[in-house]
Amino acid sequence: MTDFQVPIWGYWLMGIGLAAFIVMLGMYIRKNRGFKRPLFASPYVLWLVIFTVIPCLLVAYFSFTDPAGNFTLDNFKNFWDSNFNARKAMDQEELNMYLSMGLTLEDLGLARNSINIDTLVFSLWMAFLCTAICLLLGYPAAHIMADRNFKLGPTLVILFIVPMWMNFLLRTIAMMSLLEDNGLINNVLEMVGIGRQKLLNNTAAVQLGMVYNFLPFMVFPIYNVLNKMDYKLSEAAMDLGCDHWHTFYKVTLPLSVPGVVSGITMVFMPAVTTFYISRLLGGGKISLFGDLIEAKFLSTSLQEWNVGSALSLIMMVLILLSLGLLRRVDPEGEGGGMV
Amino acid sequence: MEEQRLIDLEHITKQYDGVTVLSDINLYIRKKEFVTLLGPSGCGKTTTLRIIGGFEMADSGRVMFDGQDISALPPYKRRVNTVFQKYALFPHLNVQDNIAFGLKLKKMPKDEIARKVDYMLDLVNMKGYGKRSVDSLSGGQQQRIAIARSLVNEPEVLLLDEPLGALDLKLRKEMQLELKSMQQRLGITFLYVTHDQEEALTMSDTIVVMRGGHILQIGTPKSIYDEPKNAFVANFIGESNIFSGTMVRDELVHFCGTDFPCVDSGFGEDKPVDVVIRPEDILLVGEDVGQVTGTVKSVLFKGVHYEMMIDAGHSTWKVHSTTMQPEGSRVGLAVVPFNIHIMHPMQEESAQ
Repeated sequence: MTDFQVPIWGYWLMGIGLAAFIVMLGMYIRKNRGFKRPLFASPYVLWLVIFTVIPCLLVAYFSFTDPAGNFTLDNFKNFWDSNFNARKAMDQEELNMYLSMGLTLEDLGLARNSINIDTLVFSLWMAFLCTAICLLLGYPAAHIMADRNFKLGPTLVILFIVPMWMNFLLRTIAMMSLLEDNGLINNVLEMVGIGRQKLLNNTAAVQLGMVYNFLPFMVFPIYNVLNKMDYKLSEAAMDLGCDHWHTFYKVTLPLSVPGVVSGITMVFMPAVTTFYISRLLGGGKISLFGDLIEAKFLSTSLQEWNVGSALSLIMMVLILLSLGLLRRVDPEGEGGGMV
Repeated sequence: MEEQRLIDLEHITKQYDGVTVLSDINLYIRKKEFVTLLGPSGCGKTTTLRIIGGFEMADSGRVMFDGQDISALPPYKRRVNTVFQKYALFPHLNVQDNIAFGLKLKKMPKDEIARKVDYMLDLVNMKGYGKRSVDSLSGGQQQRIAIARSLVNEPEVLLLDEPLGALDLKLRKEMQLELKSMQQRLGITFLYVTHDQEEALTMSDTIVVMRGGHILQIGTPKSIYDEPKNAFVANFIGESNIFSGTMVRDELVHFCGTDFPCVDSGFGEDKPVDVVIRPEDILLVGEDVGQVTGTVKSVLFKGVHYEMMIDAGHSTWKVHSTTMQPEGSRVGLAVVPFNIHIMHPMQEESAQ
């Protein structure tokens, strides 16, 4: 890939954004005769425009154009069939010649290839699994941490936070060395007589890495909601005849739904777009949708950049849709920490 | 009246982190009685209530209910229900589901639940509110629902933990009367916790005055008001002038530089005592006929009466009177012997 070229209208857009920003600034100063609080948000707004709004528009632009800048839907067709562009790029007469010689598309390696969709489905499945496991592990953990009578609760909270101060790549690499053939776990397994196992470079290792990295994002929203919940509510439930299980089922659980929704959002989103964890722990054998997009953008083929944009756009739309759905369950964002 | 005892607390003690909250509490509550635990915050009244409700365990002592030891029973196995201070209504349920909560747990038939919920809504004057969300109700309305939610389970004892604390004065007075009449109509035992002495006097059959984890006095509102056992109770229940004095001999006490005839005896001779006089029991008389004379320092209009602070005999006297004496004027003060209450001085070590 050559140097990235900003299209002409991109400069225009940035110019318009900057102008609008300056006009807004001027209006604020005039209206409020001096600097007021909203003004202090303006650097962030500028940041947002340059690094979020414009890149998003660019992704959308590349999705619907070919490398020459003409409008096309080919990138999305390529999502459906990853050989679409390759077939199209081939000289049609040559292709027909091969076909008339009795060769099939399969022989030429140009038959419909569903790897993009398959990877997306696999990514969704992995993210779903990861979210489910995080919920199953995280809810009880959050519940215990938020228990008033559990004196170690605050300590546990800190223990959950401390690993997050470390870069997630480092943590994943550390996990790699734990799981590798001569790693600590295998050494222990050898010592107890179970024998060395293949722990790395498989789906389970990737899943483990995902759960390990994203678990805090499930625990904290749930912990927040449970911690803020009035303990008198569970006392009231017990007073009215609930044993511990019924108290949980009839009062605590329904009231913690906003936290659960928030946790699901915060785990599912990064899980479905993750790409580095699968690279490190999957040994390159397990490819997630994120890896696919990354590969497209690192490819030397010009067209691939546009295809990658289309895949990104599809991902974004999927995420926006699921976010919208979740917002319906938790309209006030009570769970806190929404992405 | 031994057989009427419903709840019996025997030698209850409780500590939090080494601090004694309750020490040797002994208390019984009769059937259909309205008992109020009264005291300043931190006196242990709420802890006592929570021990009866089953939310706290006593460190030692027994809770007897109808002759049975229920000390170890969890809240859901006790035949008592609690109305919480801030109502603790379930925000995810509407009004009628809140009230029906306990009945649904008992797997009662649906039509019976609906009938009882309607009856309760009627009882607390909240007819037609069944489908409303609890967040849309005012404080007073939420309180009524909280009471209905407890009463619908037909508890033998209703525990109320400062239930009117969050309401404004007018609403509080209304609810006091309503609660009292509800209690009389239903014939349920009420155990009420408050720090508001007026509330306690208005509603209770029996008042238990607590301080620092001890019970100071148990009695009817009238007996506690008229015959407080010590200066703390006197000061807490209604307003009081408290002077330290000396018992000269039986029926004669010396304080504020003067000897006052009184009706108490048995304190010994020349013994230090606390003298308690209610502000409304002090008579304003002419300067020449008063037992002590003083100068009016300040006058406050309180609606029904004037509250005057009068310097007399090196002390400040709080006097309530319907006639006003202007600031700075000289007045005489007199107290009839019956209204002078003599008490043993408070032992400060017993107070926290």
